[in-house]
Amino acid sequence: MTSIDLSIRAAAAEIQLIGVTKSYDARTTIIPPIDVSLRPGEFTVVLGPSGCGKSTLLQMIAGLERVSGGKIVIGGREVQDLEPKHRGCAMVFQNYALYPHMTVAENMAYSLKVAGVSKAERTERVATVAKMLGLADFLTRKPGQLSGGQRQRVAIGRAIIREPGVLLFDEPLSNLDAQLRHDMRVELAELHRRIGATSVFVTHDQVEAMTLADRILILNKGHIEQFDTPKAIYHNPASVFVAKFIGSPPMNILDVTGDGHVLRLADGQVVANYAGEGSFRLGIRPEDISVNAGGSIKTEIRYREDLGSHEILETKIAEQTLRIAMPFGVEIDTTQTLSLSFPQARLHLFDGENGRAIPGAFGDARSASASVKEYQ
Amino acid sequence: MVENARSINIAAGILLAIGILYIVGPLYLTLSTASQSYEYMLQNGLAWVPGTELFANMGKVINDTRIPIQMLNSMIVAFSNALATCALSFLSAYAIVYFRIRWAGVVFALILATIMLPLDIRVITTYQVASNIFSPLNAVLDVTGLNDLIAGAFGAPVHLELSVLNTHFGLIAPLVAHGTGTFLFRQFFMTLPKDLFKAARMDGAGPIRFLFDILLPLARPSVASLFVLTFLSGWTQYLWPLVGASTPDMQTAVVGLARLVPDADGQVPDFPMIMAGAVLVSLVPLTMIALLQRFLVQGLVLSEK
Repeated sequence: MTSIDLSIRAAAAEIQLIGVTKSYDARTTIIPPIDVSLRPGEFTVVLGPSGCGKSTLLQMIAGLERVSGGKIVIGGREVQDLEPKHRGCAMVFQNYALYPHMTVAENMAYSLKVAGVSKAERTERVATVAKMLGLADFLTRKPGQLSGGQRQRVAIGRAIIREPGVLLFDEPLSNLDAQLRHDMRVELAELHRRIGATSVFVTHDQVEAMTLADRILILNKGHIEQFDTPKAIYHNPASVFVAKFIGSPPMNILDVTGDGHVLRLADGQVVANYAGEGSFRLGIRPEDISVNAGGSIKTEIRYREDLGSHEILETKIAEQTLRIAMPFGVEIDTTQTLSLSFPQARLHLFDGENGRAIPGAFGDARSASASVKEYQ
Repeated sequence: MVENARSINIAAGILLAIGILYIVGPLYLTLSTASQSYEYMLQNGLAWVPGTELFANMGKVINDTRIPIQMLNSMIVAFSNALATCALSFLSAYAIVYFRIRWAGVVFALILATIMLPLDIRVITTYQVASNIFSPLNAVLDVTGLNDLIAGAFGAPVHLELSVLNTHFGLIAPLVAHGTGTFLFRQFFMTLPKDLFKAARMDGAGPIRFLFDILLPLARPSVASLFVLTFLSGWTQYLWPLVGASTPDMQTAVVGLARLVPDADGQVPDFPMIMAGAVLVSLVPLTMIALLQRFLVQGLVLSEK
């Protein structure tokens, strides 16, 4: 896509959720009151396991689900009681949801037709969008005659043709194969730069979240666990949940006890110095563990997975699984006891009870996760 | 399963031949008898040999009997039945599938109950209602005691009466109330992607636009097959038209055919003419099947899913 056509460009709108809740009856609350504010033009990825309420949240913004309480403000307008068409949002669905009996051109132009836009203008806008998405040769085809990637592009075209201030994506890439998913990610990122609409993208795929997002909003059972940039979320997870959710393989979480001087595993091995008492959870990323003769933590390899670029060693210490990522080329004698050390600066400490991060536990300069306080 | 054993092939072939004979035999007898004269039949009984009198017999049916006007009645009944059934089933299935209605499950179960309680079982109560379509309302007023109150206030209880017996409406309405179509459309709607409705809403289309712009075009084959099926069943209805219409000018062709057999004893019915009438009456559904076979098969497959 070298010829950049800027004639589709949205006036990005700010989205504010103020105390928005969703519950189907008195007992089942899908989303407890949440407050969040998405900047104009920002690409936000809502990430969470299935059933965490992320799709519900998206549909409430779109107007496909009613809010049970609170306000949704888009571009300074309260919209929670408006019909979807009056909210200035467009949506891309997981299974495309194209109209099977209409051609690609008719699919993309349908919203304009409903809105009463003249035929000439519709044709012109369809041509512009089709050119942008590389669909110009397929305008007379029916969705059934297109490949998955092409259908997804039509769905995107249908969403952007109205130049909406807000673009909503409901797991749009999960029906595509791995290669196509990657290509579409690249295209989406490019498209977002060109169109500039405030985008909310729901997914359970952390790679999509890390690569696409300006900021990631991590939802767990309707609660915001953390809302921050991908880098901050990776390096300063605000809770055990976030730590385990982001990263592949995920961060190791070990139950440890503090005696006021050091943190010990259940079998008595000392893993770090820390001046707190009580039970804690210690996190360390598999790639941050160093394997060396001088390491004080002893363990044995139970299983190894060679992934080419790196190798994952699975070990157990104090009855807890510990995964170690070894860079390519480091030879390890798998029959010997491993000596490990945990670099203090790479450790994450979490409260033993609520799982929240304890910032600055090891005296480093990593800032407290301000976003947690701000948005929680 | 594809079985290639020779003996099974032969057995299947014989079975098929018997089946064909069983179905085609009576049809052939109808046609050959229809082409003979009354006199030939009086001498020889039902004819196995075709004759030359087919068109003469058909002419007799058209000129001497009420079959033509009864065919018109059949046409009106079958066509309106098909049209009304399609519209009603489509709308009720739309409501059940796409709207969050309280008791939607119960409503659907009640609609399905009409499949298990066909008109043949309800024929007496249906006759009672048709003879006075306000009778259910009257009964409710009586049972709840409202009529006593009304009688106390106005001096007389409410008793409304309107009979639809022996009218086209009376012949059609009881046939329309049938759950098969609703079931068929519901099954079809369930196979459509759920997000289609949401996508249309995002595109600004309300429920009515969605119905006409998206759902109806997609359901066209289903509508066509339901139309063919209900038209055929309306055309071949016997029991209800027999009960619901009392004058020959209001009866349908199938009932009219049966009435061609004279009631008086001792007289040999003019079977060639009756058979010619049967051929004539079958022409309409036959043409329909020939032209719309594709939809008919589709409908049978759909309703079995």
